[in-house]
This record gives sequence, structure tokens and C-alpha cells, in this order.
Amino acid sequence: MSKQLDLQLKDIDKKTDRLVEIDSLMPLSAPYDKEGMEPDFVKVKDAWKEKYCTSLDGIIGVDTLVRPSTPEEDKFVHKFINGLAKLFADSNKNFLQPLTLTMEYCVKCNTCSEACHIYKSTNQNELYRPIFRSEVLRKIYKKYFTRGGKLLGKFVGADIDINWETIARLGELAYRCNLCRRCAQTCPLGLDNGMLTREIRKIFSQELGIAPTFLHSKGSVRQLETGSSTGITKAALLDNLEFMEEDIEEKTGRKIKIPIDKKSADILLTHNTGEFMAWPENPAAFAILFEEAGLNWTLSSSMMGYDNVNYGIWYDDNMAQKIALQQFQAAKELGVRRIVIGECGHAHKAAAISADRMTYGENKVPVESCLPILWELVRTKRLTFNPAKNNFPVTLHDPCNVVRQMGIVQPQRNIIKTICPGFREMTPHGVDNYCCGGGSGFAIMQSLNFADFRNKVSTRVKFDQILRAFGDDVGNRDIVKYVCAPCSNCKGAIRDMLAYYQATDKFNIHYGGLVELMVNALSTIDKPYLTFTDELMP
Amino acid sequence: MFFNIYMILAVSCFIIFSAYKAWKFAKMPIHSRLDLYPIPKEAGRAEYGGSYYEEIEWWNKPRAISHIGEIKDMLLEMLFIKKLFVKQKRLWWASYSFHLGIYFLFGWTLLLLINFALPLEFISYITSTVGIMGFTLAFIGNFLLLMRRIFDSTLKKYTTPQEFFNLILILSVLITGIYAWTTCISPQQFIGQLLSFSTLQPGGAVTVHLILLGVMFIYIPLCKMNHYVGKYFAFHKVLWENEPNLPGSNVETKLIEAAVHPPQTKWSAPHISQ
Repeated sequence: MSKQLDLQLKDIDKKTDRLVEIDSLMPLSAPYDKEGMEPDFVKVKDAWKEKYCTSLDGIIGVDTLVRPSTPEEDKFVHKFINGLAKLFADSNKNFLQPLTLTMEYCVKCNTCSEACHIYKSTNQNELYRPIFRSEVLRKIYKKYFTRGGKLLGKFVGADIDINWETIARLGELAYRCNLCRRCAQTCPLGLDNGMLTREIRKIFSQELGIAPTFLHSKGSVRQLETGSSTGITKAALLDNLEFMEEDIEEKTGRKIKIPIDKKSADILLTHNTGEFMAWPENPAAFAILFEEAGLNWTLSSSMMGYDNVNYGIWYDDNMAQKIALQQFQAAKELGVRRIVIGECGHAHKAAAISADRMTYGENKVPVESCLPILWELVRTKRLTFNPAKNNFPVTLHDPCNVVRQMGIVQPQRNIIKTICPGFREMTPHGVDNYCCGGGSGFAIMQSLNFADFRNKVSTRVKFDQILRAFGDDVGNRDIVKYVCAPCSNCKGAIRDMLAYYQATDKFNIHYGGLVELMVNALSTIDKPYLTFTDELMP
Repeated sequence: MFFNIYMILAVSCFIIFSAYKAWKFAKMPIHSRLDLYPIPKEAGRAEYGGSYYEEIEWWNKPRAISHIGEIKDMLLEMLFIKKLFVKQKRLWWASYSFHLGIYFLFGWTLLLLINFALPLEFISYITSTVGIMGFTLAFIGNFLLLMRRIFDSTLKKYTTPQEFFNLILILSVLITGIYAWTTCISPQQFIGQLLSFSTLQPGGAVTVHLILLGVMFIYIPLCKMNHYVGKYFAFHKVLWENEPNLPGSNVETKLIEAAVHPPQTKWSAPHISQ
């Protein structure tokens, strides 16, 4: 095993038990700056070593990447190389230009490294340097597909041995990046290691049929089969909505009939269906606000109309397109004027940005974020608030997909500044934000020991940002502290992070969406919507 | 006559190969959107990284685009390598010195041509000054970049022999140039001979310099040093290209055209091929 600083690119093909150990982590701010404040990594089991690729860093992200029998290894490598060729063929024409630019021009100035929260979390572990995986891919590409690589080999950097271990490690390494693209933002040449990482994931999924279970078979495939990646069917959704109406009445005293499948409504509001299961107070809050403002809106119960997630944008163009087109179709059939995306970051990007050029003309329905609409309701005073009801410190997490990758920065801030007197920004924030650590599927990947990587490494910088944002208030257990994360995946990552570090139990740090804060401050509702009833640890 | 033809050929190759590279990128199919904010052409929003998606019903509203904002950002990047300055100042000094030197050397070449047409003393003076600055800055920058690649263990780890070769090639052009133009023949005199197609009979040092210079001109557009082409596309045609696909838009037209040629190469994973 290499010491992290000694790791060389050519080590990727080494027959070793483990390429690097994650043996150093960025210190956390107070009160987590003491020994024993976080659990250790789960030990890698021997059975895992035999079955999966644990030879990268001991973490298993791709639980479908299983070690083949020795004769099958060459076939695996061959298939990967075929897939790599297809990245540069008409089969990948939608990414050909950005991919070619990033493959050709990197001068390896390493400006991107400092931008990466995973590199930072691990105290600059060489393996997680954004260009490390990109360079491995370049070396393989040069070796097989460029004249320079074939003729001059090592001179141009085509100096890597390719075996199962090389490819499998690269596959795993593609799942040590949140695709937040903060690195691309800093690149002086405009190159995009995040995009390149996703291209590696695509080879594995689209050519080898290998992708993490929670993204593919229990994600996209399940969504196309049942209507939702959560497995919630239409009948279950309708049940859920009934319960939600009862909950709303109980909490607010209001009888609300949530509109469902209303033809020709102005707005089709779509949620990440995970909200209905894990955070029903979020879609309920949308219903309260939209009804109070008198908007002409509806939810859909049709297949592909009620779950706005699209995991394909993390690993597979084919799945992304299938899902996006069917989601447009569901809106089309309902005859709505526009699709409004609820608080889910990747669904924002998937529907508004990634799917924007997947079809055209009549097949499309305009897509809009919920955030400008919500701000408009606040700005025009169609909703009135009593900010004093949100009398606790609040900080805002910026979901990368909404902010850096879509340019929606101010509406959520304007709202929160209006209704939360104790608001404080994280540092950095806005388009320079750090990922929550759950991006690109990490929030839902629960196989084997991957949660360890998420909780200890990929969410680490965000957790530290939260601690710093609350400053001295962290230690005061009497003060409720609220992390506002207007994104389902970010909430998932933050939920797990707070549980892992026992930050709610010990320090009264809570999390939730933006609309919950809005309903909590509504002047027309007497009872608090947010109750923070968790018992603190003695 | 060999050197006259050789130099004209080398410069022509530089221009043609660079243009060909740009043409190849320009002809690539329309790609999926990869917006990355801040985008400087977003009028009134670029400063904080906002976009037209902050508007309600953005598709019904005219887009506020600031070409001045985009040009300003482009110029700051081209003239000052702003991103590197902001993000990695230590490397910027060397890189900027090198690139600024190259700009000066381009200017110097133009001035030599002007000076040939207008042999005035003050133009000659300016030409020499610009040339000296160009060689000095480019040499210092190149030398520092090379030293960093050699002695910074991280940069060294990721640098291929070809990338060392690139820096050494340019360094050798600069060193031989400094020697040749200061000790063998004045550049003004040389350019006069070159443009009047008089037979050039350069001495050893000038010959070596000219050969290396020609090789460099031919080689640059063939390797990653042609990033002056790629950088334009990476920013303007990828990261800052946030044109929405609206009915009747240019994007829609391109998509309709692209749909005529569906991909012939198919992916093989079972969920796609079956």
C-alpha cells in the first residue's frame, strides 16, 4: 500500500491489496475537534475482498462490480476498452465536444485540487485529486486510441498496464466524486473533471451494465417499472396524500384537498417521492403555501408523473433520457402549462438542464424551479409572515445542481432573509458552495461500507461548514439550530451526517427544507409547524 | 531560398493547423447542456452567478444578455489569465510572464513587418523594446514553469515526457533567438531579407534558431499547446453556453438537424441493447 503522498498514477495497475488507506482526515471545528467524537471506519471483511474491488481504498461504492473468474478478466477489460471507444463515437455525440476538450487540454496545473471537498476532507489524499482519475483515463485512451500513444507510448504518457484491477479501480474511483463540478469552476482552461468522471460511470453502465444497485436496479429501473425509484405505486401515493391531508389538518387546523390529476392546471408540481416517505412535511408545506396563495396547481398520479427524480443524470444517458421523456409525456397528457420542480436539486438539473436538449417542439413542457415562484409569493405579499416565529439560527445549504449548475442563487436567499431573523450564510456559499457530500447518488448509496465514505469523507467539509456557520451557538444545547437544505438528496446526506455525528442529539442541530420554514412563519397559522421534539442526549 | 520558404511554410502550417483544429471543434454535434455558473453574459446576475432561471416563467421573458460582460471576462482571461491569478497565484506569476512574453513576441513580429514597410526610427525603437520585453518575459516564465515541473513533486508526477519536451522546445527557441538576434544579425535586417525574398545566408546560430522556430510553429497546433483554440470552446461553447431549447430557437433547429442522423454505434449493456 502506498502512503497517500507517494501514490503514483502507474500504481493503479499494481497487484496490491489496497492502493491507499484513508488514514488522515481534515480536523473538524469545535466541538468536534476532540478525540472520540466520530466513529472509526468499518473494517473491510475478507469476504468483501474476494467478491468486490476493495483494492482501491477499501470502500465499495459499486456493489455490482464483482471480481470475475480469471479467464473472464480479459473479456471484462476488452469490453471496457470497447466502451471507451464508444465515448468518442457517434454513440456519445451529446458529450463529444466537452469530453474531447477535457481529454485534450489539461495542463495539470492542479488548480482544481484545492476546489475539491473530498481531496480537502482527506488532507490531500493523492487518490482523490480530481486529475488523478482523469489522468488514468487519458493514459488508457492514449494507449489504445491515439497515434501518439501507439507510436511513442511512455513519451506521451501512455504508460499504464491495463488489467482487471486497473479498470475496476477506475470504476470505483468514479464513485469517489460527487460530480459537484466545483473543480471545473476553477479550471483556467474551462475543463471539467466532474463531467469526465460521469463519462467513466457511463462506460461502466452503458457498456458493461455495471452501476450501483441503488442507482440502477433499485433506482432508475424501478422508477421505469413502478413510477418511482422508491417503489411507491400510484395507490400508495394516493394513500400517502390522504394521510398528508389529515396531518395538515392536525397541524394547522386547515382542511386542504390536495389537487391530483387536475387537467389543464397551470402548474404541475413534482416532488422527489422520497419526500413522501422520509419528509412528508415538505410536500405538505408546499400544499399549504400553494393553496393559501390560490395557485392553480396539481400533483400527478400517473406513471412517471409523480416522482421527479432522474438518477440517470449521474451515470447513464440512456436511462436519463427514458425517464425525462416519460416525465414530459406525463405533464403533456395532463395538459398543464408548466412543470414546477419541488425541493430536489438533481431533479431541477435533470428536467431543466440535462433534458432540455433531449427532445424539442411539442414534446416539451416548460420547466421551472419552485424557488422563484415562492419568492414571488413572499415579495408580492400574497403570503404574509411573522418572522419572529422562526426565532432560531438558520443557515442555508446551496444544492450544487440548483446553484452552480443552474444559476438560481437569490430567490431562496431573499425568502430566508425575509422570514428568518437569525439567518447566517455558510462560508463559502452561493455558486462557490461546497457539495453536501451526497451528490451524484452518494446520498442513496447504502451498500456495504459506502456510507462510511459518505459520512466521514464526502460530507465532512459540509459538516464543518455547518459547525462554523452556527459558531458559538453549536455548543448551546438550548438553542435549536436549523440547516435549511432545499433539496431531497442534500437532506438525505445531512440527515445521515447529523445522525452519524449525533449532532441533533448532542447539540440540537436540525435540518429541513425551505417551505417548512415558510409555513412555520406564516402569520395565518397559529401553531408552530416545526416542533423539534427530538430528545437531547443527557 | 530554403529558409524563406521554410519560414513561410511553418507560419502557414501554424495558421492552417490551428484553424483546422477550431473548425473540427466547431463542427462537432450540438451537446447536452453543461452550464456552470457564474456565466458572465447573464446581465445583472453574472456577479453573483445567477441566471434567467431566477425569473418566473423565464421562457416568456426576453433574455437579458450582456455581450460586454462576456467580452470583458474574455479579455481579462486572455490578457491577464484571471482565473489562475485568483485561484493559484503562485503558478500565475510564471505562467503570466510566459504568456505575456509570447504576446509581446507576436507584437514584435508585427512591428518588424510595420518597420519594414515604414522604416522610421521611433518604430524601430519601439520594435526593439517590445522584442526585448517579449524574449525576457517569455524566457523567465518558461524557465520558471520548467523548474516547477522538475522540482515540484506533485507537478512532476503528472507531467509526461512530452510536456517537458514542449517546455524545452520553446525554451530552446527563446535561447537561440536571444543569442541569434543579439549577436549574429539584427532582426530588422533579417525580416527585410526574408520579405524581399533575398537569399538568406544565416550563420550557425540563426540557422539553428530558425529551424527550431519553424518546428515549433508546425508542432504547437498539433499538440495540447494549441489550448488557445480549445479554451474558447471550453468556455463559450460549453460552460457558458446556456441557450435554452425553445420553439423556433437556433438550438431547436440544430436538434432537428441532428435528429436526421441518429447514432449508428450502439452501447452494449443489456438494459440498452435488449
